[in-house]
Amino acid sequence: MTHDDHQTFDELAVGWALHALEPEDEAIFTAHLPGCARCAETVAGTTGAMAAMATDLPAAEPSDALRQRLGRAVEETEQVSAPALHPRTPRAVPAPRAAEDRPRRRLLPALVAAAAAAIVGLGVWNVVLNDDRQELQTTVASQSAAMHVLLDPHRATLASLGDDGQPVATVVPHGEALEVVAHGLAVNDADRTTYVVWGMQGEQPVPLGTFDVKGSQMELQTVGSGLTGLDQFHEYAVSLEPGQKAPSTPTDVVATGQVTS
Amino acid sequence: MRRIRAGDRSAVDDLYERFRRPAFSLARRILGDDVLAEDVLQEVFLSVWRDPSAFDRSRGSVASWLLAVVHHKAVDAVRREESQRRRQTLAEEDLALTAPVATRDVEDEAWSRVVAQRVRTAMGALSSSQREALTLAYYGGYTQREVAALTGTPLGTVKTRMLAGMRRLREELGTDVPAEQSR
Repeated sequence: MTHDDHQTFDELAVGWALHALEPEDEAIFTAHLPGCARCAETVAGTTGAMAAMATDLPAAEPSDALRQRLGRAVEETEQVSAPALHPRTPRAVPAPRAAEDRPRRRLLPALVAAAAAAIVGLGVWNVVLNDDRQELQTTVASQSAAMHVLLDPHRATLASLGDDGQPVATVVPHGEALEVVAHGLAVNDADRTTYVVWGMQGEQPVPLGTFDVKGSQMELQTVGSGLTGLDQFHEYAVSLEPGQKAPSTPTDVVATGQVTS
Repeated sequence: MRRIRAGDRSAVDDLYERFRRPAFSLARRILGDDVLAEDVLQEVFLSVWRDPSAFDRSRGSVASWLLAVVHHKAVDAVRREESQRRRQTLAEEDLALTAPVATRDVEDEAWSRVVAQRVRTAMGALSSSQREALTLAYYGGYTQREVAALTGTPLGTVKTRMLAGMRRLREELGTDVPAEQSR
């Protein structure tokens, strides 16, 4: 990558330090930052300049009550014990926690970014902990494939229809099939139930394929084959169905979401 | 930070004593609400106590890191608690702040005056459009796209202005950014 080619990442680095990136840019930069010394330096320098900007504000004093509240909270709080091998990214600022970050317009993409960051962190864990090279290569390849789906500009992020509204799956049409990453769907009993992906089109949802969730780990699955016209759908849904085949109409829709672009 | 890592609870109070003013000033500037700003401070200092390993000395000073965390949390909070009216008002103030010298109360301490003057001088060296973009993003907590909408500027131009402005600001400030207010 030449100096000029890196200009885009230089811009993202400043925006990232300022916490001013759009979610899609944040996801791209979060994937790029680990291992890029130039961006780490840009982030550090920007953070330093931001601290200086903070000194150019009217001085204000918090209430005495805050100090007392903080003292009590510290007394009641135990420190986390850091693991011996702690996965890290160069980020100087903690990544926003999904549960805290619930603005209307940023929820889904922000969680996609967080999921991408989690994959990067998971990769570090695996590099450190997994001494089975073959298994490691398979795992990394799987994570990389899942991340590509999470960052695909034509993805549909499906949010749970439950109370929390959290994103639970991401769907991307790819050729004559759908790529599905489940990242929050409950494990299903594959002998008795199946998840079905639906293309939402007018009043009549179209069943596109089935899949099972076997564990809590994020996994890329390809569902449906030989399908056509997948890119005509602007919204997808996932339902949990009894049996192992897709019915003609969904029974229990658990998540829906629209295509990003 | 060493004391906090060692489990010394009183060290959190010392850290708070040292940084409470710039941290609170920044949080209330972004949030426009003292109660929310105090909530952010409590969350930040408590998080430092809970997991002091989040600070990596090789990546900058405690001051830079702590104020970055305050900024990040305050921006998260303003996006959660977003009041369009309040943000609109703040946006107008932010735009007014783009003048090289803002009218403001200055702390008595000579050190703070010197630091603030240095920052204002550095900000004054930026072009008005660079200053506007950085001010809206940093003090206002706006995303680049929101800055573009507020200023009627293409998003790509906003990104370029922020990068160029930050490079110039760093040049003007030098590498030794005077952010730690110890008193």
